[in-house]
Amino acid sequence: MRHLFSILRQILRMQRAALWRGAILSLVVLLMGVSLLGLSGWFITAAAAAGLAGMGAGFDVFRPSAMVRLLALGRTAARYGERLLTHDAVLRALEVLRLGVLRGMLQLAPERMAQVRGAQALNRLTADIDALDGLVLRLVFPLGAGLLALLISFAGLWWLVDLRVALWVAGGWLSGAVPLLWYLGRKMPTPSRRMEAATQALRSRFVDLMQNRDDLAVYGLLQDQHASILQADARRHALRCELDRADRQAGAVLVALTAIISGGGLWIGLDLAAAGMITAAQAAIGFFVALALAEAAAPIRRALADYGRMVDAARRIGPGLGAGSAVQSAAVSAAAGGISCDGLSLRRPAGGMMLRDFCLAVNAGEMVALTGASGAGKTTLLLALAGLHHAEGDIRIAGRSLEDWSEPALRNYLTMLPQRSELLSGTVLENLRLARPDATEAEVWAVLEAAQLGAVVRARGGLDCKIGPRAAGLSGGEARRLALARALLRRPQVLLLDEPTEGLDGPTATVVLTGIRKALPEAAILVASHRRAEIAAADRVIAL
Amino acid sequence: MAKSDPLRLLLAPVAPAMRRLSAVAVLGSLIWPVQAALVALAIGAALQGQVAGGLVAGFVVLGLGRVALSALADRMAQEAAEVVITGIRHRIVAQEALRAQRDTGPGATASLAVEKLAALSPWITRYAPASARVAVVPLVILVLAFWQSWAAGLIFLISGPLIPLFMALVGMAAKEASARQMVEIGSLNDLLVDRLAALLDIRLLGASEAVTQGFSAQAGDLRQRTMAVLRLAFLSSTVLELFAAIGVAMMAVFVGFSLLGQLGFGTWGVPLTPAAGVFLLLLAPEFYQPLRDLAAAWHDKAAADAVADELADWQAREGLTLPGNGARVDPLAGPATIGLRGCVTAHGLHLPDMKIAKGEAVALVGPSGSGKTSALRLMAGLELSAAGNVEVAGQVLTAPMVDGWRARIGWMPQRAAFLARSLHFNLALGRNGDADAALKAAAAQQVAEALPRGLATRLGESGGGLSGGEARRMTLARALFSNPDLILADEPTADLDDTTAQAVTAGLLAQHAKGSTLIIATHDMDLAARMDRIIQLGNTR
Repeated sequence: MRHLFSILRQILRMQRAALWRGAILSLVVLLMGVSLLGLSGWFITAAAAAGLAGMGAGFDVFRPSAMVRLLALGRTAARYGERLLTHDAVLRALEVLRLGVLRGMLQLAPERMAQVRGAQALNRLTADIDALDGLVLRLVFPLGAGLLALLISFAGLWWLVDLRVALWVAGGWLSGAVPLLWYLGRKMPTPSRRMEAATQALRSRFVDLMQNRDDLAVYGLLQDQHASILQADARRHALRCELDRADRQAGAVLVALTAIISGGGLWIGLDLAAAGMITAAQAAIGFFVALALAEAAAPIRRALADYGRMVDAARRIGPGLGAGSAVQSAAVSAAAGGISCDGLSLRRPAGGMMLRDFCLAVNAGEMVALTGASGAGKTTLLLALAGLHHAEGDIRIAGRSLEDWSEPALRNYLTMLPQRSELLSGTVLENLRLARPDATEAEVWAVLEAAQLGAVVRARGGLDCKIGPRAAGLSGGEARRLALARALLRRPQVLLLDEPTEGLDGPTATVVLTGIRKALPEAAILVASHRRAEIAAADRVIAL
Repeated sequence: MAKSDPLRLLLAPVAPAMRRLSAVAVLGSLIWPVQAALVALAIGAALQGQVAGGLVAGFVVLGLGRVALSALADRMAQEAAEVVITGIRHRIVAQEALRAQRDTGPGATASLAVEKLAALSPWITRYAPASARVAVVPLVILVLAFWQSWAAGLIFLISGPLIPLFMALVGMAAKEASARQMVEIGSLNDLLVDRLAALLDIRLLGASEAVTQGFSAQAGDLRQRTMAVLRLAFLSSTVLELFAAIGVAMMAVFVGFSLLGQLGFGTWGVPLTPAAGVFLLLLAPEFYQPLRDLAAAWHDKAAADAVADELADWQAREGLTLPGNGARVDPLAGPATIGLRGCVTAHGLHLPDMKIAKGEAVALVGPSGSGKTSALRLMAGLELSAAGNVEVAGQVLTAPMVDGWRARIGWMPQRAAFLARSLHFNLALGRNGDADAALKAAAAQQVAEALPRGLATRLGESGGGLSGGEARRMTLARALFSNPDLILADEPTADLDDTTAQAVTAGLLAQHAKGSTLIIATHDMDLAARMDRIIQLGNTR
């Protein structure tokens, strides 16, 4: 609930005008609907009374019938405007939400980033964001507009009919709908959350089955895994039924309220009319308004159905939303000087020591290979040097302590090619310009040649050749080399490469490594390596 | 209507329930005209100065009856939706469990079976009852209107032939609405997912701000294009509402003028009574309501159509079935020997004949695509040969015995994958054995200790990650866990650094030294040289 509010506040802060426009029109549509039905009921009954009294000729038909037409057409027009404006507001809210997620995630630690990019995690994240998309359109607008319409109807009924009718109608809807909202609002989140968990379990077990099918078959666990999928689905089914039941209860209460409140309103009105305190036509207004208010209450059901899921999603998404932070990129003029560390200690996630009192220095123009068994800490060391992993000890870049570097200055001076690099979908040129937006075509071709990709890109139609999501359309080795070319385009003074030639055959690896050195003759290059070609290309080798 | 066929097919298992629920939904809607009549009579009586409390009470009681019927219809619809969705889901899971080939995108199949199928629910619960109501309710109201006044009936009748026009408009709106959904949510999510997958790269390239600004600009652009589509899409449903509004307004004006005595026509001789007037007014919106409900639910049908299409694609994907059923059974008796005779892989590759004796260590070598992996899969009974036969433990391997044969194998796949369960579960996979000994034999003790919660660490995406080399050692530990007398290993040292490769090789050879038969498929000639025998693949015919 708290997170839901904070997400709402964030959307409200960034898209205030759009939200107000949508909210006001939602209210206008409701009020016009209520007025239309109330007026028509009054008009017919009053006309009948005048007709019975033989005073039909003196009855002013034109103003009411013109009002009926105006409200009918006006409501249709307002409805159109409402749909457009609320959808515009929703789309803006979608933007805010997604941008917030992106900003927040970009500030995460690398190990959390690695978790986020897994297919399952991404799936869950988008499911959560989708659930929150309805926050404004299905929860906030209808409930807010419905409540206001109810209050205005109360005032209108008091003024036009009688306080007793107004109290019955407005009080009836309030005392019926508010406890319903409160009760189901408390009841729904738990089964919603549990159903979401069961659905995720179902999904992840099914993916596990498909990904590990051979292993499961060999070790005789395929049927067990199949059974565990069905078990998760059975749990999901039970919770779905529970939620469906609550949804039906909400629907039944709302329809019953409509019958009781409009019937009761009619009875009170007729009673007052018989006593001569109001006319029969005024009594009809109370009935028709109570009936029309059902439209204001109807979205409550839909809102309640989604509410639990939204609370659950907000709990996961809310804390990670990043606020808008405009980082100014500043050029840095540091003396050329490579990278070094002294007395460096790295911890494992479990708490044990991975590296203790480690020293290393890579000078400008030098390529150093870092070797060691997998799990020895090569990747973690590179991340620490890139300022993305906490380390104890002294790291100096161009002679300045790492802590003294601002993020933009550091990224300008130092670049790292991570072990699993990813491309964005788009063209080759767009991917490369991510590294340097003002790069000229000549510079782009130069780094492509250095990465032995010139021929490949030319064969595919040049720099505008498209790359699909997750580097679809490129082989693993080509994607790797493109990521490498992208890193080279930044022309860093310090380049950290994590297994740069993974997926390349031996001769290509050697040529690519030569290309890197030629492209950046002045840079200090540190390579975490497990291949002979990489070790052979280095000036020095340091074993962890 | 050809488009609706696959959808109708999906409903086949619940067809009787759908008919019942449609009937209940229609019955519920038909209560309204009765309620309207009671209110009309009560207001008519009030004009005569009487309070007809009984009529009002009847209105409320019937309203509660409507509550019961609509709740019943909702329940039947929700239950039918669950039956349909679970039925299809279970069919997908069962079929995928026994597919023999490795598939490239389990994510797509999982989304279909889990999230996308759920899109059938609104179609079943909203669209189906709405289309039943639209066939009956307007017709009944038309008859009632004619009974009261032929002019009132005529107002409905004139808008009656407009209904097909409405439907066409609604259809157009639906097309745009589904296009809208595709544009709107899909693209924005794709954009986001694309960037989230590359978070670390973006950060390291110092492109965080540029990427967020670019995303914001693209999202804004997408919003503008979506709104352009929506302005049109909403127009069609607005036209529908406009016709309904005009119909209701015409009815109100006709009734009003008739009651004032200013219109002398439209009734069957006698003038329109006040009660009849109120009755007609109350009926008018309900005449158009089913159509509007159907229009609102049309979007659900479009979504269901998309699911049905994708389901048809999934069904069209052919594939081999995994032999056996992958359950745990008693191991097959007999010596751990394997013979291949005249075998052909699923890709049509001929494999050389071979005979591997108990306790032998053999390397299968050959260029990529020469059938090394397929040979191992045939030996493990994960595929059956299209021709020739595989002989294991002295008998020809057939589908009924593969489970028993597989129960003897230590298996090291080329690509390590784990269940999203604890490391211990992933090692043992339900078998008896010694985890510490297996980890030690695979030189993986340190790896396990380094994990946040040791053997209890949850693997998979959400848990502790293992590097490639660590994962490889874990699959070795898993293969050695139950001390098998046959080990099949596919590229056990590919992409490993020398130290790890040595450790893995030593682990395999140590198990061989205990008397196990060892068969590896490899590119690594150093590793192959340490086996008893090398079998060359890829130069047969």
